[in-house]
Amino acid sequence: MFIAFVGAFQSEIKRLIRSPLLITLTIIQALTFIFLVNFFGLTGAFAPTAIIDQDKTYYSKLFIEKLKLAHHSFTLKPMTEIHANDLVKKGKLVAIITIPKGFSEKIESGETVPLKVIVDNIDTDMTADIQRALPSALSLFAKDLNLPGVRVQTKELDLIDHDTGFVPYLVVSALGLSALIISSILGSITVAREFETGQILILKSSPAPILASILGRLSASNLISLLTMLIALLVIIFGYGISPLYPIELILIITISIVVFGIIGALVGAIIKHSMPVATIIFGFSLPLYLFSGTYEPERFDGNIIWILAHFTPLYYVVGILEHAFLGLHVTPESVLVNFICIILFGLFSLIFLRNIIKKSNTS
Amino acid sequence: MKNLSVILAIAKNDLLLWKKTPFAIYSAVIPPMGMMIVLVTLSLAVLQQPIALVVEGHGKHSLRMQKIIQSDTDAYLNHDFSEKISPVNKSLAQEMLNSQRVAAIITIPKDFDKQVEIGNAKIMLTLNNIDIDFADDIRRSVNRSVAHFDAPILSPNDAEEEGVEFDPEKPNSYLISIDEKDLRETNVEWLHYQVIPTLILLVLSVGLVGTSLLCGQDIERKTSRHLLLSPQNTTIIILGRILGGVIVSLIALSCALFTGLIFGFIDPPPGHWPALMIIFIATAFCASGLGAFIGTLFKDIKVIVMASSVVATYMYFLGGGFTTIAFLPEWLQNISQFIPFRYAIDGIRQALFYTTLDGVLKDIIILSITGIFSVILGTFSLKRAWSN
Repeated sequence: MFIAFVGAFQSEIKRLIRSPLLITLTIIQALTFIFLVNFFGLTGAFAPTAIIDQDKTYYSKLFIEKLKLAHHSFTLKPMTEIHANDLVKKGKLVAIITIPKGFSEKIESGETVPLKVIVDNIDTDMTADIQRALPSALSLFAKDLNLPGVRVQTKELDLIDHDTGFVPYLVVSALGLSALIISSILGSITVAREFETGQILILKSSPAPILASILGRLSASNLISLLTMLIALLVIIFGYGISPLYPIELILIITISIVVFGIIGALVGAIIKHSMPVATIIFGFSLPLYLFSGTYEPERFDGNIIWILAHFTPLYYVVGILEHAFLGLHVTPESVLVNFICIILFGLFSLIFLRNIIKKSNTS
Repeated sequence: MKNLSVILAIAKNDLLLWKKTPFAIYSAVIPPMGMMIVLVTLSLAVLQQPIALVVEGHGKHSLRMQKIIQSDTDAYLNHDFSEKISPVNKSLAQEMLNSQRVAAIITIPKDFDKQVEIGNAKIMLTLNNIDIDFADDIRRSVNRSVAHFDAPILSPNDAEEEGVEFDPEKPNSYLISIDEKDLRETNVEWLHYQVIPTLILLVLSVGLVGTSLLCGQDIERKTSRHLLLSPQNTTIIILGRILGGVIVSLIALSCALFTGLIFGFIDPPPGHWPALMIIFIATAFCASGLGAFIGTLFKDIKVIVMASSVVATYMYFLGGGFTTIAFLPEWLQNISQFIPFRYAIDGIRQALFYTTLDGVLKDIIILSITGIFSVILGTFSLKRAWSN
């Protein structure tokens, strides 16, 4: 059994080394997601906004400061009205805020100043962010000025003593997706090829257990996956500057997820039995699985149905552990230990399924 | 005329090949479908957040504050994910926050009414600030609710909700009113805005993956030699193959468009259909020509499929399918200008969401030029690959 395992491992390693293009494309595919979620994160906040200060006094400058403090809502760009109008028409600005001349005088005399705001309402999410952010700035401004008519303020108590940026949060969770894509694509191709070439029948006739040969091949693809994951990991640590708070936990989850996703990939390969479409099919299915896994916020906040469904994807547990290992965040109601147990169970069940499918295909 | 019938015969043959290889269809269609599911899921997440409302005060001010929060269904969801926000007691709220059933607790404290009278009231926000995206959404929403208490009409939207005319000069407690003017006549829903470009991804994926696959198969199975020996002109045969990819893309697109029409998701203003169709056809030619080119780059069919898939993904994302390109860093915007599918995405958004076709002609011209170039590139590279 051990000899079959080692023999299969060696032959698969040789085969994979002979397919550098396939490995390169798998790495590119995996890294793609880290960059893409980064794009999404970049447009989730800090709306590019022109600020036209026609007053240029203490109060107008104070108000601009408050706009900057309005919960990461604006990237303020001071400019002239003509330039701002030109940029907003080209779609390069979300809004133009104009502080009119006489702003300070009116504030001092207790009069109300109309703040001219032009919004590019191309999509409601960004428009809503702007509309909600302005009262936040007004509230901060009123607090500083101690305006008598403002009787209510917000007092905030955060559960975590620091805020975590959206990009780091997304990028860390994307690492889980990278593991899924790399490992399951390589695992599925490895197994699908056995069916495609008829090798599975030869393995069946061998006196060694068939699962030993399959696992030997899978171990080889997992090893390559692990090495390629290192690249993704290095991009996150050095490219994005996100260092893991719990490195041992990180190493463990990367290793376990590579093994489990490899088995899941093998299962897909055994079901499809064709190596050509498996990569795109896995890629296509990975996207929704990823978003059902608490990748942009704790999945629990998306409602009971989505949260329950999320438990059926291994990525849910992997993302939960990764966010903890890197950023110390608890994004699932389940503990890290429970998440570890669940992901291992996922792997075991997939292995049992894989064995059954291979057995059945042998007898048919 | 004879050439045309050859082109059509090859295209027809390719359609039959597609029919015989369902896995090729899956590989081309599943990624756009996955993307669509992603966007639907995201739309659920980016808009409202579940909160627990704790009302400890019992006076008229507390009641008013409670009503303001309850009426802001654009921002908040109840702890059971319904739109009707019902108050809960403090311990239950804390338990829900700890178990992540809610993202925040908004508390109207016991002495709220008393403190309002002396101008020093506080609304307590206990927030699970795991990441700033949703945490900031809640912070902004709570601040808006609080501002609404002392200044019910800060902006034209508030005035509309109250059913009164907005007067920006009318005094309010914050001494500033927000005289908002929207640039466009339409307010496109986030989901609608994001999902529409997946039609381009569908055309791109089917055209690119499908054509590259068929071209790759010809080379891998050596059937290209037979095609080369045919008495027909090689260019004509290749054009037939590219046309086959275009037709398959348009068939896949028609299914999606038909579904969109039935559900009212696709409803362009009058007179915009021709522009839309030209954009889709030009995109299909771009994708198919590019697919023919990629099909000749590698020998292994798996590599061809993966490469096509990677190219389709990048073209879609850098073309602004997933995010608004204008809000990305300058260097990415510059790269995006060289992605032809950006003009397809811009074009269909303009044609579907706006009353005018401003800029669509430019998009069509760029797409058409790219389409012609792609077909020439695909034809040339296929000819070369077959000869080798």
